[in-house]
Amino acid sequence: MYTTELLENRYPCRTDFIRSLYCMVSKSEENFPSAIYISGHTGTGKTAIVKDFLNIHAECENNRTVLVNCVECYTTKILYEHILEELVLGGTRCDNFKEFVEILRQAKNVEQSGFVVALDNADRLRDMDNNILPSLLRLQEFTGLNICVLLISQIPLEKYYCKTGVSEVISLYTPQYTKVETLKILSGNFENTVHMLKCRINDNCDAKVQRNQLVIVEQITQEFYNNYLNIFLSVFYKACRDVPELKITASKCFFTYMEPVLNGNVELSDVARLWRNIAVPLRSSLSQVYMRFDKVESEMLSNHNLEGNPADNSLRKLARAFELPFYGKYLLIAAFLASHNSANQDKRLFVKHHGKQRKRLQSVNAKAKVAEKMSSSLGPKSFSLDRLLAIFYAILDEKVGLTCNLLSQISTLVHLKLLGFVSGENNVMDGSARLQCTVGLEF
Amino acid sequence: TRLAEGTPRRSIQLSSIVEQRVFNDDDIINTPKRSKARKSIALPVVDNVKTTEDDEEYTPKKTTQKTPSKGRRSTTKATEAPATPKTPSQKLKMIRSGEIKPTLEKRDSLAGSEKGKTDLQIARERLHVSVVPKSLPCREKEFDNIYTFLEGKIQDQCGGCMYVSGVPGTGKTATVTGVIRMLQQRVAEDDLPPFDFLEINGMRLTEPRQAYVHIYRQLTGKTVSWEHAHALLEKRFTTPAPRRVTTVLLVDELDILCNRRQDVVYNLLDWPTKSAARLVVVTIANTMDLPERLLMGKVTSRLGLTRLTFQPYTHKQLQEIVTGRLQGSEAFKGDAVQLVARKVAAVSGDARRALDICRRATEIADAAASKAAEKGSKDTQQCVNMLHVQQALNEMISSAKVQAIKNCSRLEQIFLQAVVAEVTRTGVEETSFMGVYTQIETIAAFMGAATPTPGRALRICAKLGSERLLICEHSRNDVFQKILLNVSMDDIHYALKVNNTN
Repeated sequence: MYTTELLENRYPCRTDFIRSLYCMVSKSEENFPSAIYISGHTGTGKTAIVKDFLNIHAECENNRTVLVNCVECYTTKILYEHILEELVLGGTRCDNFKEFVEILRQAKNVEQSGFVVALDNADRLRDMDNNILPSLLRLQEFTGLNICVLLISQIPLEKYYCKTGVSEVISLYTPQYTKVETLKILSGNFENTVHMLKCRINDNCDAKVQRNQLVIVEQITQEFYNNYLNIFLSVFYKACRDVPELKITASKCFFTYMEPVLNGNVELSDVARLWRNIAVPLRSSLSQVYMRFDKVESEMLSNHNLEGNPADNSLRKLARAFELPFYGKYLLIAAFLASHNSANQDKRLFVKHHGKQRKRLQSVNAKAKVAEKMSSSLGPKSFSLDRLLAIFYAILDEKVGLTCNLLSQISTLVHLKLLGFVSGENNVMDGSARLQCTVGLEF
Repeated sequence: TRLAEGTPRRSIQLSSIVEQRVFNDDDIINTPKRSKARKSIALPVVDNVKTTEDDEEYTPKKTTQKTPSKGRRSTTKATEAPATPKTPSQKLKMIRSGEIKPTLEKRDSLAGSEKGKTDLQIARERLHVSVVPKSLPCREKEFDNIYTFLEGKIQDQCGGCMYVSGVPGTGKTATVTGVIRMLQQRVAEDDLPPFDFLEINGMRLTEPRQAYVHIYRQLTGKTVSWEHAHALLEKRFTTPAPRRVTTVLLVDELDILCNRRQDVVYNLLDWPTKSAARLVVVTIANTMDLPERLLMGKVTSRLGLTRLTFQPYTHKQLQEIVTGRLQGSEAFKGDAVQLVARKVAAVSGDARRALDICRRATEIADAAASKAAEKGSKDTQQCVNMLHVQQALNEMISSAKVQAIKNCSRLEQIFLQAVVAEVTRTGVEETSFMGVYTQIETIAAFMGAATPTPGRALRICAKLGSERLLICEHSRNDVFQKILLNVSMDDIHYALKVNNTN
């Protein structure tokens, strides 16, 4: 029971999973099940638990274990040799499954009696050779060893049945953590966060302030941190239940949360004011979740008052940072218009009016906005190169020659993935190629 | 010991096997058949190593070398001098040059003698398909046809082609080899100028071009690459040489030799047209219109119009064949043979099938007789009657699908019913899983059974698909996968109705 206790301490709220795993694959004197399928969402601790489990397993008994990530194995040979390297311990060559089984069979005489093979991202196995999945599930039968294959994946087992059938598999499910469990896991991070906060204070403040602040930090209790996490989760839990992601964001936001306390503006006990302070930055960082750009986020947190929607803002910033040549810009605009206005409106929009260009653009933009309400959910439509050039000349006041520079700018836009080919990539010149504008209105 | 004394003794490590395997792969890059043969026997070798590790005679190499056209697998070599141990590569060289012949392992105990056998056992031996009688009954006309053709060609000392066709089991190969045997007998009696006989079988070649290698090996005993063999054969058949004897080449399963370029078939049929070649080619295939359907114009024209079609046997002929084999034996009743003959003639007219069914009937009769003997009844007359034949026919002809459906689990039966219902509802044969699942819900509710979850239904679907009762896709496109019924709807109705009344 030593193993389970260790793992249970390390991974709270996974007692059932760890126990059932331990029940099936524990003592090498007992027979392992031939295959176990472990499924669950991202961030539910499948891989981490199995990894630690295997490490402990390999240490305390005469077992051999291996964890392979199937994404790495783009050919089956790599998969086999990777497994054999750990299980048999030797630079072995192995070309096909038959040799793989043979080499494993020879390992029978070795005093190692239990073997565990864990395959992460097992859904990739379906895309490899057809025989892999069915035969890996029956590896115990083929080799005559006490071997167990653990498959770790995010999709349910129902997606694995192939045409020729697969053998029976025990499946384990790791459910997502509930709010209480998430709170418990995140609160385990308390000491770490406080330590990081101290380091941060040591880094950037002068001595006197530092001492004051450190005194304040010393007063932070687990309860205070839990309170913070409660607030944090009330905002975040609806959008994201991925524990690693929450962990990162929580520790980041904690610094912002502590700022007014450290500055002396707010007392530690004044939860209500702290909540008022943190609410806005929390909401703004909510839109940043899953986007791991550190610098932008910290910037965002500091000047959240100035700009309303940070996600929108970042895109606008990106667009502003995107330098295009003059005609390139007009081409892109023309492409956008061609994508989002229907072709039968072209005549009315671009031919009939002979007024100023600015006016026309505005009206077109307005139309596009109206049309977007109807058609934005349908996605951009495709257009031909001729139509793109026609609109380009219509919205551009000056008459420029159709030089090769202009055409090469179109192809550059395609290269930059601002435009995309829908069909007819091979016959661009004869006019049957269809293009599509892939940038949004904000750009 | 298992192996001949000449083989070197050595203990093996795995690494050496791997090394040799690699070496071999490099060595025979053009002959995949050989490498395949090696792989198929590598397993028992390794197994041996594992069980008796100490000192094992190791011969993975030579087993791989010569892939005999007769399908024998070489495991040992007898002709090697025992005093000089050789490396496997030397052996390989000898085998390639044809100095060592592949032989089979000898059995320790002697085969049983004729005396201790019962009537049924003797009948069973005679009925075996591989026991080809000296003169084939019911094929006299075809025999004469081929005989006159070949005799004429050999005596005229010219070349020619013949195309023999017919459905499987009508005695094509047996008749042709019978003719050849007859001709060879006449050569021995000095009635006929001597000739070489070569045969290749398209099914035994990994690739059409390997035909050259096999032909050349039968001529000289040497194994070379196909390019080399082709060049040598080309030289042999195009340059005139005095005292060249006629060569008779039998090409079985001609359709396998047809590739897109048809160069092998063309060469095989072009050589007889050369005056220097003196080559007679007899080709055998199943389809009658193969030359027109598959072959190019230049190949068909070289194949010529000398054709012969073997008709399927009628029930009278089948009866004659079986009774011909059972001459002097009392094991079979006359009407039993007639039943087999009529049943088989109605389906395919395949003599092999008739013989197999008869053999199975003798086995059943044997079992019944021994059972009767156990009971102590006096009626231990060993004879195959109608009932035994009927049972054998049921075993070998009847379809197992109805039985399979009957023995499905309840949910699987519901699933099959749901597929039927969905097909009748939509009128299209191809259904999607979603539609079938709604039907399952309906049927399950109707029958008062609990509705399975979609995941479970997918598992059922995959199981039925792997049993080929359904044809379905990979379950990764779960509810959108297409499902086809692989059994007829009547079969399902019949199986489930009968089941319900029981």
